[in-house]
Amino acid sequence: MRSDPVQPERLAGTGPVQPEAGAVAPAMSGAYISVREVSKVYGRGRDRVEAVHRASFDVPKGQFVAILGPSGCGKSTLLMMCAGLEHVSSGRIAIGPRTVDGPSRDIGIMFQDPTLLPWKTALQNVLFPIHIMGLRKAEHAERAGDLLRLVGLAGFEDKKPHQLSGGMRQRVAICRALISDPDILLMDEPFSALDAISRDEMNVLLLDIWQRYSKTGLFVTHSIREAVLLADRVLVMRRRPAAVVEDIMIPFERPRRPELGDTREFVELCAMLRRHIESQT
Amino acid sequence: MNAIGSILPAAVPREATRLHDVLHGAAGWLRRIAVAVLPSVLILVLWEAAVRWEVVSPDRMPAPSAVWGILASHRQILLAQSIPTAVDTVLSFGLAVVCGLGLGILIASFERFRLAVYPYVILFQLIPKVAVAPLFLVWFGIGMQSRVAFAMFVAFFPVLVSTIAGLTGASPSAMRLARSLRASRSQLLFQIQMPYAIPHLFVGAKVAATMAVLGIVIAEFVTAQSGLGYIIMFGASVGQTALVFAAVALLCGIGLALYCAVALAEVAARRWHGGFPAASG
Ligand SMILES: Nc1ncnc2c1ncn2[C@@H]1O[C@H](COP(=O)(O)OP(=O)(O)O)[C@@H](O)[C@H]1O
Ligand SMILES: [Mg+2]
Repeated sequence: MRSDPVQPERLAGTGPVQPEAGAVAPAMSGAYISVREVSKVYGRGRDRVEAVHRASFDVPKGQFVAILGPSGCGKSTLLMMCAGLEHVSSGRIAIGPRTVDGPSRDIGIMFQDPTLLPWKTALQNVLFPIHIMGLRKAEHAERAGDLLRLVGLAGFEDKKPHQLSGGMRQRVAICRALISDPDILLMDEPFSALDAISRDEMNVLLLDIWQRYSKTGLFVTHSIREAVLLADRVLVMRRRPAAVVEDIMIPFERPRRPELGDTREFVELCAMLRRHIESQT
Repeated sequence: MNAIGSILPAAVPREATRLHDVLHGAAGWLRRIAVAVLPSVLILVLWEAAVRWEVVSPDRMPAPSAVWGILASHRQILLAQSIPTAVDTVLSFGLAVVCGLGLGILIASFERFRLAVYPYVILFQLIPKVAVAPLFLVWFGIGMQSRVAFAMFVAFFPVLVSTIAGLTGASPSAMRLARSLRASRSQLLFQIQMPYAIPHLFVGAKVAATMAVLGIVIAEFVTAQSGLGYIIMFGASVGQTALVFAAVALLCGIGLALYCAVALAEVAARRWHGGFPAASG
């Protein structure tokens, strides 16, 4: 499906972090996203739920972190707090020097459902952030077209969401998250609604995108394989109390290929992670 | 393309298929129209027969042919009275849509406004509207203003309710996406809420179209000055039932024309929108 490769220079846009194509091992020192003793309580009295309990971790610039855990353990809540879409009940989240107290345009988000606007074409959906930010659409239309080509949607620019498959819609959502060239990409189980084959394709695509753009990323998933394949580091969360209980580095070199998933080291790492998770519950 | 065209056997050559499609499509439409028209033809025939064989007295129930005769012989005066009725109906429908939409936007956008105003709007709606029709005459005089104001009062509520339902029912995930991009309140309204509200708005507008006709006829009864409503009052008072039926037929025509105009607009909106629920009749 992939068509001609796109020039990374042109796609790079105007954002501050611009590593060269194929750059390896971005600087892994210092906290870029800093989560300190963050808790989140929903409701009160008998309805009180502590969705996140005193989570603390740092993410250096350029690192891709997977947040892994069973459903209902507070992964989405944690991510939405990082996005500034939910308030923290206590603790502090900072991005660079700035405390997060609302949404930021330096962050691109992907939700579990692609959230495309049904009356807009694929291209218009990709340009939606540009439209909202009041930037010149003409200047970004070319970049939007390049991104769509990169994710294998050349020729689908003028299709409406209802004319696209689930996987194609989520590809459009990736392009939309990347269009304004944000420093940070937050992804909340973006592929969990897809069938296994589309999901594998999306994982390959995401590896490829990471290789090109080296964003800082938080990726929520409940798939151990997906976490190990994609991430530099895996944070394991558990329920009751909903806390971060493991912090594991994933040693595999980049660029990674999907065949990595068939190697013994990979399978063993996954098994080790599974044992960790089971011992926690 | 309709269902009949699409279930043709796959073996038919291409050009032949296209011709087949067109013919089958036309045949399908004709059949549907025939099915819709048949009951009214049947009723008209039975009705005519009942009057001819004096099952019912022609003074109480004029035969369709007699009504047609009146329509033909009183063409001039009926047309002259139809025009103000049609103009008033369209005007009050337009005002109902504008006011219902405007008030709905205010109520859906501002919590305080909703708390302060909405209960009274609902209370106002609980008044039996016919009972206050004479008041409109006192307030707005005997002319067109009082009729249009009354019909608008009768017709605007469905638009208001559907506007509020549509605006508050916009996809929560699309709203969250827009908030993550720091969309302003007016961007939320015009980029997300209004487009999501469009299917609901057409439901309200269709009800309003029928209510506007009703409101104008009642107002014409009360002001007893001109219009088809006035003709009906006059015809009934002098025992001219055929004239009453002729006026009712013309009223139906006006109502149908307005309804069809709304339905056509809905078809256009549906084509643009892509996210309409199933047809709403
Ligand atoms: N808006 C909310 N109001 C009340 N409780 C919530 C809300 N959102 C999430 N929760 C609760 O918080 C817990 C964690 O939810 P969530 O962060 O969605 O978990 P995950 O994404 O890991 O499945 C769950 O018990 C859920 O019921
Ligand atoms: Mg979740």
